[in-house]
Amino acid sequence: MFFNSLHFAVFLPIVFLMYWFVGQKSKINQNYILILASYYFYSCWDWRFLFLLVFSTLLDYFSAIQIEKSDTPQRKKLWLWLCISINLGFLGVFKYYNFFAESFAELFTAIGFKVSPLLLDVILPVGISFYTFHGLSYIIDIYYGRIKSEKNFVDYSLFVSYFPLLVAGPIERATHLLPQLKKRRKFDFEKAKEGVYQIIWGLVKKVVIADTCAVYANGIFENYNSMNSLSLMLGAIYFAFQIYGDFSGYSDIALGTSKLFGIDLLKNFNFPYFSRDIAEFWRRWHISLSSWFRDYLYIPLGGSKGSKLFQIRNVMIIFLVSGFWHGANWTFIAWGLINALYFIPLMVLNRNRSNMDSFQLTLNFDSLRILINIMLTFAITCVAWIFFRSKTIQDAFAYIYRMFTEGHFTEQYFKIERYTTELWSLLLIFVLVEWNSRTKIEPISGKYSWVKMSFCLAAILALGVFSDYKEFIYFQF
Amino acid sequence: MKRFFQFLGKGLAVLLLTMIVLDALYTVVYKQSDDRNKISHLYHSENQQYDVVFLGSSRVNNHFVPKYFNDRGYKTYNFGITRSRLEESALMLKLMVERNYVIDTLILQVDLNINTNDHSEAIRSLFMPYLHQSKTIREHYKDIPEYNELLLVPFYRYMHYDARIGFREMYASLVHKETNALHRDGFNALTKNQRPMVAADLSKYYPKRNKAYEEIKAVCKANNIHLIAVTTPMCMSTINREYFNHIQKVYPEIYRLEDAVTDDQYFSTCGHLNEKGATEYTKAVFDQFFKPRN
Repeated sequence: MFFNSLHFAVFLPIVFLMYWFVGQKSKINQNYILILASYYFYSCWDWRFLFLLVFSTLLDYFSAIQIEKSDTPQRKKLWLWLCISINLGFLGVFKYYNFFAESFAELFTAIGFKVSPLLLDVILPVGISFYTFHGLSYIIDIYYGRIKSEKNFVDYSLFVSYFPLLVAGPIERATHLLPQLKKRRKFDFEKAKEGVYQIIWGLVKKVVIADTCAVYANGIFENYNSMNSLSLMLGAIYFAFQIYGDFSGYSDIALGTSKLFGIDLLKNFNFPYFSRDIAEFWRRWHISLSSWFRDYLYIPLGGSKGSKLFQIRNVMIIFLVSGFWHGANWTFIAWGLINALYFIPLMVLNRNRSNMDSFQLTLNFDSLRILINIMLTFAITCVAWIFFRSKTIQDAFAYIYRMFTEGHFTEQYFKIERYTTELWSLLLIFVLVEWNSRTKIEPISGKYSWVKMSFCLAAILALGVFSDYKEFIYFQF
Repeated sequence: MKRFFQFLGKGLAVLLLTMIVLDALYTVVYKQSDDRNKISHLYHSENQQYDVVFLGSSRVNNHFVPKYFNDRGYKTYNFGITRSRLEESALMLKLMVERNYVIDTLILQVDLNINTNDHSEAIRSLFMPYLHQSKTIREHYKDIPEYNELLLVPFYRYMHYDARIGFREMYASLVHKETNALHRDGFNALTKNQRPMVAADLSKYYPKRNKAYEEIKAVCKANNIHLIAVTTPMCMSTINREYFNHIQKVYPEIYRLEDAVTDDQYFSTCGHLNEKGATEYTKAVFDQFFKPRN
């Protein structure tokens, strides 16, 4: 069940009405309704994976209690590692096993031993990377004594399985979400209205921006051998907007949906393409994952303490793991590596935290400098996205090589019966709207909200892509 | 909660109003555009008189040169549309009848398109702007699964077929952006030559009785139109040319002309002739069925 499907448009009002009319008297009823809705939502993808979700929930729930009950550090550690190993084991089998098997076989073949890898014929359970990380953050927080273990199984299950965040995040923290689930939610008109606006804006990002860009980006990436330099540059830009519109649109719909139930989720995007350097980009892009890696991997590894070499090692590890988290393919690892290479010079020069403040643009040289920095950051981000989007590393290098050497900068008409430059005006309007509303959650609220909402609805209807349906990209992770 | 429901109610009203306004706007634009494709051209024309009309897919669109017929005294138009199946050809013929066309002879391409009874979504979409206006189109589509939504939900048809009749096409129609679909009396010549030519593979093709073809035959009979069903050329390296033998077993009345042009120099791709090939093929068809009038 996709957020932008008719199925969800029927499902959501039913759950909403049950939640506020049948379950409003107690938090227990509200949570029961949400957990049932969440399991139904998940089973719509493939009911068999529901067992995996429930098993993962049970594992983390009991492990947390055991960690808390353990009287010796060794026992605590044993439970922690047991839980982490099983969780990562599942992730490994479903997501990474075939990748490793094939990579080892290729390696052995390259050194002269012909090996036929034994591959598993399994489908990747939707959302497994997200709910596994949910559970891991909870377990690790318990281990370090940051929170108490949750004894109510329904409340804990809801923390893991809450449908707005179940399949593609944001990756929640127990410290943020669990306290909200422990008390009865009261209906708040302003919050619900904000939720509706956020859902509508998320849909604009998904069906108007992301899906339209996808048509062009796919056309260019799949035929990059016949594309000229301008088209290849546009292809990378279109993909940058596609993935941003797709994932931040999804996050907006998730956050907006959750607000309808009186629950706030973590913000996942903060206008990342307005970043002045790559460090700021990573503080604004997929925030819940970046902060997860920071808190549960980077800091335990030593973070920014120690020598520069030690710090570089830590940065490399977290970017490589972050790339690998996205998928079992060398292209994602390369994408992580490139981002690490962008980040390391800033860290070595102690400039990775130099753009923490907010900024305004006026007519002066400082603003010009900021604007140039934003554009440069966007440009290098687009180069990294080429690796993320390409099927193989070789394709990515060939794409970049052709982009810089082909040398023609004319408009091209390509196989999908469109001109490569057609999207400029749409993207320019989108960027201006985003820029203008960058201090807000969404651009609809405020003055003339009805007019803005009408424009958004008209944009969804008239400019949205409906006939060539595209899944949310992050569902595959 | 009451305020929220009022808010949602207003939102839904805005949504419905937007759908109605957009539907009206798009329909008005399409109703005034007659030069973007052959279907809009057909819908906007009436009382035409043709000696010969061609119908079929790209293997008509790229293969029949009306000028060759026109020069010999036959008023001719090529209504072949790339990706069209026989279902769409049948509807085009019925639309011609609705628009009071008088047609002496219909030359219909019946070859690869009787491998299936399926339709073409891409071409079906081009009829949708006229769904409310044309009884023939409504009748033709009354049994398709999404018919009620297409007819009754405002703007649904433009969303459902957004790739073909969505904003881009509406805008192009509004500004009368030119296409080459109607140049040269509907003939679109292919100029590129694929070399080396990739052989077409018909090994999974098998001709079947086709509902739309039967319908075309019935419409022709009812309207006194002389129907000539023909096969069109495929390059000699085509895998399973036996397919054409099977066609005649299913429909013996179909004229075998797939060998009318055989030399690779006449082919743009294995399934499509280039301009020179199209002229050769048109000549072969003309010589077999017609005599010059001037």
